[in-house]
Amino acid sequence: MAKKLNFKLRSGIHDDIPLYKKRADIAGLLMLLAIAILFSRLYFLQVISHEKYKAKAENNRIRSFRVQAARGNIYDRFGRIMAGTKPYYNVCILRQEVQNMETLLARLVPLLGQDEIELRLRLQEASRNQPLYEPIVIERAIEWEKLCVIEAQLHNLPGVVIDVVPGRAYPDENIAPHLLGYLGEITDSQLGLPNYTKAVKGDMVGQSGVEAVLNDSLSGEAGKKVVEVNVVGGMERVMEYVPPKPGNDVYLTIDMELQKAAEDALMDKVGAVVAIEPDTGRILAMASSPKFEPEVFAKRISPEEWKKLNDPVYKPLFNRPLQGAYPPGSTFKTVLALAALQEGISDANTSYFCNGSFPFGSRVFRCWNERGHGQTSLYRSLVESCDVYYYHTGLRLGIDRISKYGRLWGLGEKTGIDLPNENPGIIPSKEWKKARFKDKWHEGETVSVSIGQGYVTMTPLQMAFFYAAVANGGRLFKPNFVEKVASADRLWEKSFKPELLRTIDIAPAKLELVKNALTGVVQDPRGTAHKIRIEGINMAGKTGTAQVVKQAVRKQDEKMAWKYRDHAWFVCYAPAENPQISVSVLIEHGGHGGSAAAPVAKKVVEKWQELQTPLPNIKYERLT
Amino acid sequence: MAMFNFDRKILLHMDWWLVFSLLMIMGIGTTNLYSASIASGQSFYLKQLLWYLVGLAAAGALMFFDYRNLASLRFLILGAIIIALGLVLVIGKTAGGAQRWIPLGPFHFQPSEFAKLTFVVLLAQHFAKKEETAFGYKGILQPLFLVSVPFLLIFKQPDLGTSGLLLIIVGSIILFAGLKWSVVATLAVGGLSLMPVLWKYMKPYQKKRIEIFLNPELDLKGAGYHVTQSKIAVGSGHIWGNGFMQGTQGQLSFLPESHTDFAFSLWSEEWGLAGCIVLLCLYLVLFSRGLAIASRTKDRLGAFLAFGVTAMIFWQVMINASMVLGIFPVVGIPFPLISYGGSSVVTTLLGIGLLLSVDARRSIVKR
Repeated sequence: MAKKLNFKLRSGIHDDIPLYKKRADIAGLLMLLAIAILFSRLYFLQVISHEKYKAKAENNRIRSFRVQAARGNIYDRFGRIMAGTKPYYNVCILRQEVQNMETLLARLVPLLGQDEIELRLRLQEASRNQPLYEPIVIERAIEWEKLCVIEAQLHNLPGVVIDVVPGRAYPDENIAPHLLGYLGEITDSQLGLPNYTKAVKGDMVGQSGVEAVLNDSLSGEAGKKVVEVNVVGGMERVMEYVPPKPGNDVYLTIDMELQKAAEDALMDKVGAVVAIEPDTGRILAMASSPKFEPEVFAKRISPEEWKKLNDPVYKPLFNRPLQGAYPPGSTFKTVLALAALQEGISDANTSYFCNGSFPFGSRVFRCWNERGHGQTSLYRSLVESCDVYYYHTGLRLGIDRISKYGRLWGLGEKTGIDLPNENPGIIPSKEWKKARFKDKWHEGETVSVSIGQGYVTMTPLQMAFFYAAVANGGRLFKPNFVEKVASADRLWEKSFKPELLRTIDIAPAKLELVKNALTGVVQDPRGTAHKIRIEGINMAGKTGTAQVVKQAVRKQDEKMAWKYRDHAWFVCYAPAENPQISVSVLIEHGGHGGSAAAPVAKKVVEKWQELQTPLPNIKYERLT
Repeated sequence: MAMFNFDRKILLHMDWWLVFSLLMIMGIGTTNLYSASIASGQSFYLKQLLWYLVGLAAAGALMFFDYRNLASLRFLILGAIIIALGLVLVIGKTAGGAQRWIPLGPFHFQPSEFAKLTFVVLLAQHFAKKEETAFGYKGILQPLFLVSVPFLLIFKQPDLGTSGLLLIIVGSIILFAGLKWSVVATLAVGGLSLMPVLWKYMKPYQKKRIEIFLNPELDLKGAGYHVTQSKIAVGSGHIWGNGFMQGTQGQLSFLPESHTDFAFSLWSEEWGLAGCIVLLCLYLVLFSRGLAIASRTKDRLGAFLAFGVTAMIFWQVMINASMVLGIFPVVGIPFPLISYGGSSVVTTLLGIGLLLSVDARRSIVKR
């Protein structure tokens, strides 16, 4: 009994067990209900939302990388390489592999020699826009010496990767940088523009010249590498690889030898040279001085370099042949001579007396020859560049007829060359002045314009095409600098044919009068450019000396500060009887056209002459 | 009365459905951990197998142990768990802002896991002594006082997940023991009004977890990452799953903790809805057997023990699965027998052992 009681105390036995059975049944039902909730949730996630989560899972593990295409080469007309490709080594930071950014930067900054604050800013800016697994470029086109140091330290720099990308190589040291242009990282505002349809953020694209204009063709199409990665971004396997399509090669109309001669002739001068084929409008050489190094843009530009590139006086980035408009000076007289002939105002025998000055209104305009040219005909007016002759001619023509013929010969409007920021120059008219200054035209201004002063300005490119039209019988061409574009495998090619803008209607006899006089400029002993004549070839041309400051304050040229000196022009074509080349030369603040510009043109024509001997057979060779 | 009783009848009367579901679940656990091991390059499944064996041996021993003797051992058990939890606070390993483990050679002993079963035993013991079938406030306060010391020690680690789970288990047993309706109603109202106070005393990381749970997109890279990746893993499983060791989330390590807290997520990814239904149905069998044992025993203590053990396993399954499926905040509650972890495995199997011990004596107990 006691045992039984004791037992009952320790572990009470009751008749209420059925009650607990009921409670257990309720609990079982609730558990079933709870598990049912889990089932419905599972059904929702695994069946209803399956597509969404499957896509997210794929997104997690699959990453697509762009594979940069090799940029096309740029050749001259004979297939000589002007801009090739070579590997550039970019130092990048792959954030997902960085263990400690502060430690890394502390080690990396001294190796790179970069400004730390600037580097941090770049990193921060890129961090906002790029996913973790995408390397951020912190130094482009690193020098070989630095690369070696960093490579050796890579084990100490977790998260730093060296990216190899195709970059530009210039086999011939720095040739035609203005025409070829330079590469730089695409800017936000360029994204999606017509020339950059295939470019994405971080790409190196053409920023000027041929590189910019033909960017889409040169850049090729980036390939794609699809890889499976794990959670830390490590690559598990390559799932898909689409090789990049290399860019097209571009053949320019440029003759590299001639280009080099032009650039050499411009050495230490500020100015421009344009050499073209008068019969086709092909540009053989187009040089601007001072030059710049296109390679510096592939790297980070230091503030000093940037300051140098943007020097307000020398403006190395300025493509003078087409962006610089200068008063044409006496080279403009050809426009008046042609206009007067075409209008019937003068003929071969029309002459004016020049005593060295020309009083007009309250002013006295002078001829450059203070002693005067005496009785001067059309021929002598051009050969000896008589100003007074053109004061008379200009006044008889009037500004609107000067303007009409100037425009007819392609001046005062863009030549239509397919390069950005072409300057149209100015051919003034009454209407132009009213629109521009809300003022009426004064006759005295016509006198200035008659000798290429005053409002009138022209670019060296316009000058070359104008004189080429004179040389070729009145045919005005659109400038062309691309000979052909070809795919890397040469299975596709596109050639560019000369484009004739218009033929100027002028009696051949009248044109011949002008051409004869222009030949006299060089060949006649009294010609202003007689000094630069070349044995064995007749040249035709015209000198020009354009004032930068008013006559009243002028002194002897050599005694003036550089920036007040005259601009020197010389335009010519050769051979005079059967023109094959037309050259225009401008030397900023060079002084007299005959002594400063003409010798430059002479060097170019001489080189051209030399090149006429049969070319050695140069074998085609693709550099990369 | 002997503590151990090696009666052959005990084996004969074993609930084979319970044993079957248990073995199947352990099979799934091993398979799943094998996949997680390959993904992480660590042999979790082998260690887990070892813990299964240890647990099964302990459960087998418990089966032959007369559970009624627990009454005399209750202070020993309470004392042991208090000492263990106290040790955690003194020499415990810190992980994720909380101290939970005692390093024991190559293993990490987690006393808070054992506390779950301890609470079940203590409460069952407490209520078995009483005669009422519906308690008032005293019925709540007395058992709470009984377990207050170990509870506070766990709360202080801090292990909010386990503390919460313990309260839920305690609550379940109290409800099973019976409460007056008036008390239930008052508590429901009071509990709701206490929530803001609880919020105030939570640690920042705990608050963050709840905030992120309510809106995982708040923090895709941080705390929301776990849930987001888990949902992706589960969702990509579809009906038949991606296949054994074929789940990209788990195999490429996008799924965090795929061997512990998110092991069920890995199972869902690789075996799909079908695999989940099989696993959860096996658990349903286990629960129903547990409740059946609670129902058919003639002993009040046995009923409370069986119910308590079943509730302990059920709530862990429910909370872990809900968390993995993104319908409950991320708390450190393992999926019993599926998540890797010796303490959890042994605790669960000890519970099963108790179930079998109760069941073996369902007819032995004399009226």
